[in-house]
Amino acid sequence: MTQGATRSQTPSGPQKKAGQAPALLLRDIDKAFDGKTALSGASFRLDWGEVHALVGENGAGKSTIMNVATGVYAPDHGEVIVDGRDVPLRSPVDAVAAGIGMVHQHFRLVGRFTVAENVALALGGIGRRIGIGKAAQLVKRKSAELGFALDPEARVERISVAEQQRAEIIKVLLLGAGIMILDEPTAVLTQQEAEALLSMARRLAQAGHAVVLITHKLQEVADHCDRITVMAQGRTVLDAAPMAQTSLAQVTRKAFGEVKEQEPVQPGTLGGELLRLENLRVRHGAVTLDGLNLSLRAGEILGIAGVGGNGQSELVACLNGLLRPLDGKIFLADEDLTAASPAKRRKAGLRVVPADRFDSALVRDMTLSENLALTGLESGRFGPWWGLSRRSMKRNAENSLKEFNVLGGGPETRASVLSGGNAQKVLLARELAAGTRVVVAHSPVRGLDLRSARAVLNLLVASARQGAACLLISEDLDEILRMCGSAAVLNRGRLSPPLSGADLNPARLGELMVGHA
Amino acid sequence: MLDGTLLIRRQAVPGWLGASCYAGGLCFGLGLSAILLVSMGISLENLYQEFVVQTFLTSQGLGQTVTATVPLILVGLGMSLAMRVRFWNIGIEGQLWCGAMAATWISIHDVGPEPLRLLLMMLAAMAAGAAWIGIGLALKLFWSVSEVISTLLLGSIAFFWVQHMLFGAWRDTVTGFATSPSFDPAERLVLLGWEQVHSGIWIALAAVVVCTWLTGVSRFGLLAKAIGANPRAARATGLPVIAAVSLFVLGSGALCGLAGAVIAAGTEYRLSQSIGAGYLFSGIVIAFLARANPLAVLAVAFVLGGITTAGGVLKVFYGISEAVVLLVQGLVLLSVLAAQLFADYRLTERKSG
Amino acid sequence: MTDLVLAWLTVFPGYTVPLLLASLGLVISERAGVLNLCTEGLMAVGAMTGALMALAGYDPLLAVACGALAGAALSLVFGVATVVFRADHTLAGLATVALGLGITGVVGRPYVQKPFDGLPRLSDTVWGADLPRLVGQQNILLPLTVLLLLAVWGWLFRTHSGLRLRAVGEDPAAADVVGIDIQLTQLGAVLASGVLAGLAGAYLSVAAAHVWVEGMVAGRGWVAVAIVIFAGWRPWGVLLGAGLFGGAEAAMLRLQTLGLDFPIYLGAMLPYALTLLVFCIACARRRGENAGPAALGKAYLRQDKH
Ligand SMILES: Nc1ncnc2c1ncn2[C@@H]1O[C@H](COP(=O)(O)OP(=O)(O)OP(=O)(O)O)[C@@H](O)[C@H]1O
Ligand SMILES: [Mg+2]
Repeated sequence: MTQGATRSQTPSGPQKKAGQAPALLLRDIDKAFDGKTALSGASFRLDWGEVHALVGENGAGKSTIMNVATGVYAPDHGEVIVDGRDVPLRSPVDAVAAGIGMVHQHFRLVGRFTVAENVALALGGIGRRIGIGKAAQLVKRKSAELGFALDPEARVERISVAEQQRAEIIKVLLLGAGIMILDEPTAVLTQQEAEALLSMARRLAQAGHAVVLITHKLQEVADHCDRITVMAQGRTVLDAAPMAQTSLAQVTRKAFGEVKEQEPVQPGTLGGELLRLENLRVRHGAVTLDGLNLSLRAGEILGIAGVGGNGQSELVACLNGLLRPLDGKIFLADEDLTAASPAKRRKAGLRVVPADRFDSALVRDMTLSENLALTGLESGRFGPWWGLSRRSMKRNAENSLKEFNVLGGGPETRASVLSGGNAQKVLLARELAAGTRVVVAHSPVRGLDLRSARAVLNLLVASARQGAACLLISEDLDEILRMCGSAAVLNRGRLSPPLSGADLNPARLGELMVGHA
Repeated sequence: MLDGTLLIRRQAVPGWLGASCYAGGLCFGLGLSAILLVSMGISLENLYQEFVVQTFLTSQGLGQTVTATVPLILVGLGMSLAMRVRFWNIGIEGQLWCGAMAATWISIHDVGPEPLRLLLMMLAAMAAGAAWIGIGLALKLFWSVSEVISTLLLGSIAFFWVQHMLFGAWRDTVTGFATSPSFDPAERLVLLGWEQVHSGIWIALAAVVVCTWLTGVSRFGLLAKAIGANPRAARATGLPVIAAVSLFVLGSGALCGLAGAVIAAGTEYRLSQSIGAGYLFSGIVIAFLARANPLAVLAVAFVLGGITTAGGVLKVFYGISEAVVLLVQGLVLLSVLAAQLFADYRLTERKSG
Repeated sequence: MTDLVLAWLTVFPGYTVPLLLASLGLVISERAGVLNLCTEGLMAVGAMTGALMALAGYDPLLAVACGALAGAALSLVFGVATVVFRADHTLAGLATVALGLGITGVVGRPYVQKPFDGLPRLSDTVWGADLPRLVGQQNILLPLTVLLLLAVWGWLFRTHSGLRLRAVGEDPAAADVVGIDIQLTQLGAVLASGVLAGLAGAYLSVAAAHVWVEGMVAGRGWVAVAIVIFAGWRPWGVLLGAGLFGGAEAAMLRLQTLGLDFPIYLGAMLPYALTLLVFCIACARRRGENAGPAALGKAYLRQDKH
């Protein structure tokens, strides 16, 4: 194991002074995946003692370039220089030994293991074999130092996403990482949690670490970062500009070109009640939804805010018909759908856009035309049961893709090839097709860049304007505030009464989100 | 390990590449098998004689091959249907036994009028096969019991059941052997007048047509594709998952049961302990090599029928166990599987430095 | 009655040990994420090789060792196909079974039904003559199996390298970033399962039957696969599962020798039916919750999008 100089870097370690070699220098990196270019001549420069923002639209190559820096992807061309030395990164553990730690978009923790076991495992990887008990002590000490609440004996799959992230950060720090890369860390956090995380990043930087922050939320960049790098289509288009001399408008233009404004959400003009939940009770695993009441009217966009894991997925599954409620009723207009199958609900006009679009909505290995036709098979639009009409499926797909402005693929493209934003548009094209009366959208823009997010939200607004009722379940307060005339908060399986007008403000929502009901 | 080469998953596999990897794997596997046989003392010339000339190019050999192909088509189709919905039907032989037993039962008890007897036997065999796989299906649907295990154990159970009948109630009193009494002429599939080829071939071809329609033309084909590729999404989008899975899986069992009846009524004219042996691996090999495509099943089953016939000849004339067929199947399957690496992934050299 | 129980107890280990050995191997392999269906074939090869060596006059222990090695060799083929060539685990496993059964059929044909001395009972050895009857009737592989069970359990759940192996089966991406060589670990695990399955097979021929016949494994490899799922991939559960099946099989045989008028093939069917039943109950009880290693049967590729 190379005992890199950076290994000794800890928050209390010696301060790196300006004028030293940059912490991380990536030069002229090319990377293609099976002929598909992800990076072409990208570069990145990170200095000690800074929090460095890395932004860009979906698929710009942010994660890819950082995965090159951590030895996960082997670049086709280019060099990686860590703290002034050219290090050959043949595997992720080489990067760890060189003092680079990354908190991936999808955490690299073993779910069935405890936090302490994960840490012991990781330390074993750099030649420090310690017992689980010792690891637990280390975790405890480190979390006290950082002010985290974290139980080292807890199984990772049982703790919240925010706690998992803390575990991941502690693991990375215990490995002696001087350079910490955070890939979209705040996408899954509440505002308070995000705030805490970012100030921790600041403290680390002040103690001499170097931190990279990948994010789609430009406000965070403005508030917490020293410098910013913008990527677009695999290239670096703005290279390590000091934040003080850069405006957000400039960043947006660099990253996305021109962005359509969010369409104004028109208040008023609400129709009759379309969706009504009465005293809904659901139990699934550790989560219980307790007596949910809700009423949604035509043309309304009602927000449901709340920290993930408080019953959102269960509510969505229950509305979709995948989870039977213990008690309570679901009405669409006046039709009782409580016991209806997913197919029957769909026929009645209840459409669900789940958070994990590739897990429980789209089929990766089927073409777009097949994906778009799946839900319309019963209706006979694509031929009788004994003979499917591929031609009408294709025509249908062509129309939908055009109408919803899906880029990056035609009717015969496989869904897996699409970027997140475009896949979401395909899903919306299917779910918002004729006959939609109620749309339930769960985190519809999670992980999407600014432009795709706006496009997707605009589609929801448009459908509401055409008289559909829309339930927007999201962890992002900004999104809720911008989109919804009224919003309720889901906390520990209970739903607050809806807030609207002046009551609907971040402070009040935040209070309800963390409050102990 | 293997740090020098990097693998990158291909976004889309070009047709020519998939085909040539498949062909490469096939050739490699067959080549290896040939070397093996040569090393066991069969000269290349004899190999050619037995595996090509005597199985495909002479009328007698071709007749035998076609006869052997008929049940292979049925089990291959059966496995393909189940594979389409990602159901691992490892109990092909069990369903086959059940089908054969059902047909034998009809024959022994002379159920129904004689002109309809054969039809009844086939229908009963299909029902029995479907029922037997139905147990595995129900266990999977209701209690998420792995079908690999359940169908397999059910296969063993069915075989013991057959033995129980053959050594007991059904033992042929005329010969005293552990086989059922021989079927009446009305209970036999008619010979077509060319070697041993019997009318079961029409049944097999009809099954190919039905399966082609089911998987390629009807709505269920698309449903099965969605379910096979992402069952969660299929359920969440309100597709009739249970109905479609049941249709394909029960169909799979029915075809395997039918294969049992066709063997019993077409070639053996009785139930014996040896009729079902080896069909599990044949079914898997055919379905996999045919990529679960019914028309391709026809072709692969034909080739495998030839190999089986040749295997029988090797046993008689060269004293080589017929297990050699199994060996060849294993080799070919493994090498085609492994060759797929070159289609699914792009291999690159790691840049030094 | 006590006689019957005693008789049952004496033959019980003979039926349990091979299942236990094979299932233990499977636990190792599947804990590392390789879905291993090839046990039936590996056992067959182990049984044949052991018998062939014994017939050739080698020491029975050496014969058993050779059986284990043969199992390892065939498992290596499977390992290379799945781990290096990333073939589908289920299909590759089935292909390996076909290979194993094919090899034994072809190679072993001249040696069928030829009895040999095999592994002696403990009471027949120079030092074991005074052992109590129950123990004396067993052979040296029984204590070895118990040791192996303890060792595998201790290693998997009490050591750092066991932790690393389990991490590979749970989340190879996480294991990869902490510097574990996924492929090497999985290959090693598959090899270990090959050794144990080969041992189990050799037990059948060299230690138990003292003869080799084609198809003598008779589905025990598949039963081992079921036992592992039933056991929740835990060594102690494997002991229970193997004991259940082995116990039932031994009991059937005892009852038959007693002259009980019970249809012999229905009796032989019973252990399989029992396994299925117990297996279903186990599955039904943990319905929904998948107890297996999270990445079981999935090919891992570092440069995939995760
Ligand atoms: N392992 C991979 N295999 C194939 N293509 C990949 C892989 N990783 C990334 N890509 C492709 O490379 C491009 C860049 O992806 P990358 O994940 O770096 O984007 P990103 O900037 O992180 O986007 P996001 O904001 O969505 O996280 C995309 O087109 C993506 O589809
Ligand atoms: Mg990314």
